[in-house]
Amino acid sequence: MPEIILDDLRKEFDGVVAADGLSLTIGDGEYVCILGPTGAGKTTCMRMVCGLTKPDSGRVLMDGRDVTDDSVDSRNATMLSQTYALFPHLNVYDNVMFAPRIKEWPEDSSKQIVRSMLHMVHLEQKAEWKPGELSGGQQQRIALARALASGSKVLLLDEPLRALDARLRINLRKELRSMAKEMGLTCIHVTHDQDEALEMADKIAVIRKGRIIQFGTPREVFEDPATPFVANFVGRSNVIVGRVVESTPEGTIVETQSGMRFPARPSDLAAGDEAVLTVKVGFTKITRMQEGQPSAVCVGTIERILYEGVTVTVEIAVEGVGLLSAKLPNRKYEEYSPGDSVGVYWMPDKASVFPMPPEGIEDEMRLD
Amino acid sequence: MDGAPVSFLKRVDELSGSSKVRRSWFAFACAVFIIVIVVPSIFVVTKLFTDWGLVDSVINNDGIRDTVLSAVANSFSIALVVTVIDIVVGLPMAWIMVRKDFKGKKWLDTLLDMPLAFPTAVLGISVVMFWGAPEGVELPGLGIVVSPYVMMIFLHILFTYPYMVRSLSAILEQIEPNFETAAMTLGASKWTAFRTITLPLFRAGLATGFILCFARSLSETGGTYIALTMMGVESTFFTGPSFISWLKSDTSVYSADEMMGAQILISVIMIVLALLLLVVVRKAIAGFHIPLKKVWPDLGRKLSRGPLPKAKDVLTIAFLLVVVLLPAFYIFMYLTQPIPDIDYGVLLGSIATSFLVAGVAVAVDIVIGVPMAMYIARHRDGKLGQTLDGLVNVPLIIPTTALGFSLALFWGGFGLSESFALLLVILGHISFTYPLVVRNLIGAIEEVDPAYEEVAMTLGAKPFQAFRKVLFPIVKSAVIAGGILAFTRSLGETGATTAISNTVNTVPIYITKLVQSGDYTEAAMCSIVLIAICFVIMLVLRLVTSRRSGRDA
Repeated sequence: MPEIILDDLRKEFDGVVAADGLSLTIGDGEYVCILGPTGAGKTTCMRMVCGLTKPDSGRVLMDGRDVTDDSVDSRNATMLSQTYALFPHLNVYDNVMFAPRIKEWPEDSSKQIVRSMLHMVHLEQKAEWKPGELSGGQQQRIALARALASGSKVLLLDEPLRALDARLRINLRKELRSMAKEMGLTCIHVTHDQDEALEMADKIAVIRKGRIIQFGTPREVFEDPATPFVANFVGRSNVIVGRVVESTPEGTIVETQSGMRFPARPSDLAAGDEAVLTVKVGFTKITRMQEGQPSAVCVGTIERILYEGVTVTVEIAVEGVGLLSAKLPNRKYEEYSPGDSVGVYWMPDKASVFPMPPEGIEDEMRLD
Repeated sequence: MDGAPVSFLKRVDELSGSSKVRRSWFAFACAVFIIVIVVPSIFVVTKLFTDWGLVDSVINNDGIRDTVLSAVANSFSIALVVTVIDIVVGLPMAWIMVRKDFKGKKWLDTLLDMPLAFPTAVLGISVVMFWGAPEGVELPGLGIVVSPYVMMIFLHILFTYPYMVRSLSAILEQIEPNFETAAMTLGASKWTAFRTITLPLFRAGLATGFILCFARSLSETGGTYIALTMMGVESTFFTGPSFISWLKSDTSVYSADEMMGAQILISVIMIVLALLLLVVVRKAIAGFHIPLKKVWPDLGRKLSRGPLPKAKDVLTIAFLLVVVLLPAFYIFMYLTQPIPDIDYGVLLGSIATSFLVAGVAVAVDIVIGVPMAMYIARHRDGKLGQTLDGLVNVPLIIPTTALGFSLALFWGGFGLSESFALLLVILGHISFTYPLVVRNLIGAIEEVDPAYEEVAMTLGAKPFQAFRKVLFPIVKSAVIAGGILAFTRSLGETGATTAISNTVNTVPIYITKLVQSGDYTEAAMCSIVLIAICFVIMLVLRLVTSRRSGRDA
């Protein structure tokens, strides 16, 4: 059964490094999202799996077999392109029939496969239509049916939902995942949308500058990020730079230059180390300042309140730290107004602490 | 789909899986392109070094030298004037074709291309009849006395104007109207929006159009020579190509050596100047800045409102009718004349020859042009891609008479001469039609998302299967369009054919001969027969292809 191993892949395009020692092991039947900012090497990574891009060095293994030099058509890894690439000169039926015909399967069973795939995506009645006559969501489902009908056990999805309306995109997430699961496919899904990755993936591989910087379940990646970048890229975080003043099995305390102290979960850092503390805006809370409120870790003034529907984001200016954000349920909208003085706090075990990255914090947090 | 063809295709499918095979196929296509098309086209330049004596004697002979130089000068100045006129009147026409919707637009669209389907020899007759109707022509024309130079300009506009409108509309279609709309919501008048936003984006189309028209005018032989003959000035007024034709038709004026020397000289000058021009025009148009800093809002508003835009449209259409379409179709007036005796045997024979040459040339163009076009379209950024892209234009820009002469010299060096005349003519026609097919294909392939082929391969298709089942059907209409363009171009070509051989009798050659002997009515009737056949073929092709794509639907 298809287990995919990417082993130390390197690829350079005219001096731009797209894969820099990229390694990843994807288990049979797993749904893996490769998540990263634009230009991180997501698509290159996926193209190396199906053979459309040849790595400069490194190996691609499927089921333990080295397929690095195998041709694209022999790999049984089917790509679902972000533009769907439904062949415009063929109707829906012939599009789905493409792989069975190429592979010269017996006519009868091919027909049956195509019918059942069209049935699965609820588009049997559109079999005679041309791709151009279908809506974006329908095209997407036909592209999926075509990929599934090829008998491939590996499905590569290149930002498959990108071109769809926001609402449809969210509906199709579940549909896509459940169909892939039903068929027992191993999926590699490339996306830059963290919500999509969190919702769909068994595991998320966060990629940056051609390297996998974290590989784990959505919960691990969200709650226990490997680097400050991951902390901010997967769910926004407040970032505080300082020096460790206390590191015990109970927790870590980071002190900013201005002398403010912030608590975080336990870490390997030693007192005196330069450190970066991150806490998700959703885990950041605020409170009215009353006397002797022990839980507040700092005090600031509300700058702005952004109404977002179910949630509101409150931006608080804290002297010596900068702007901190807190995402709150929308019932809090009425409670606060700009100019209010509030206390900011969080549960220490919701905050992560990292050693200062060697290239500096600015470079680490860049999203491009 | 049974028996041998399937197994052959399968073999190719299998073979295409190997990157070695793919690379050698591409290398083969490159080699054919270089050896059969590029090198023979410019081979004559080497004669400058190997046969300097011949050239030298021409240069030292004041009489021939002055004639040669004035012929070349005429060619270039006519081409320049024609191209500038084409741009000035082509721009509003392209605008009308792309941005306006009106009844009868389809008709106009078809009419616009018609002069391209006429052999230029036919246009030569038609134009002289329409404007001049000098003695010896039975039909009355406008009877305007124009100098040969002006007549040439009228003539050359006919077959260059459609190219200009086509290349300009191709670019205009890609420029989204959004830009202009945005400019207008920002307060620009229509005219200002066009001048400051759309026109600067136009450069590429302008360069292509300029080069196409200039090269076409520069190399035109058949129509030019016929028109000059009908005006009775073929031995006093020359363009470069018409001079070579005249030399070939009247061998008594100069000695064989002088003729050879003159032809080499004229060919080399035209090839070198044309290639230089290709480079210069590209650079010039890329570097040409339309002054954008200054806007004249009042002037812009005046030009955009009131009767002026209407007047512009009317003038544009009027120009198309009076200067392009009427003169082109005027030849049909001969249908009102008593039908002369035509030697149908000879006519049909020459039509068969023309179709053979054009058919074989186009078939070869497509077979060796497809891998080239695919490579260039997908490797635009690479060095090799850019080089090939430039080289493909070479046979297009070289005057066909010079090209034919050069080609005959090249293959003659291998002992392929008169007895292989037909083969040589075909080779010559391959050379100048190849760029038309390849250019069209490059454009079409660039439009196709590479994801189509890639996805096909991940679905299990071998590279050649992905090509024939996915890419080819998508670009099929461009292949056909390029094929038709190349076919009609080959059918109408006179210069290259005469320069290569005296014995291959294609239709334009036959018509030219009729005109030379003063049989205008016969020439006109043959032209009408040829046009009729061309139209029928194009119609059938269009029907067949549209029905086939209809069935796929």
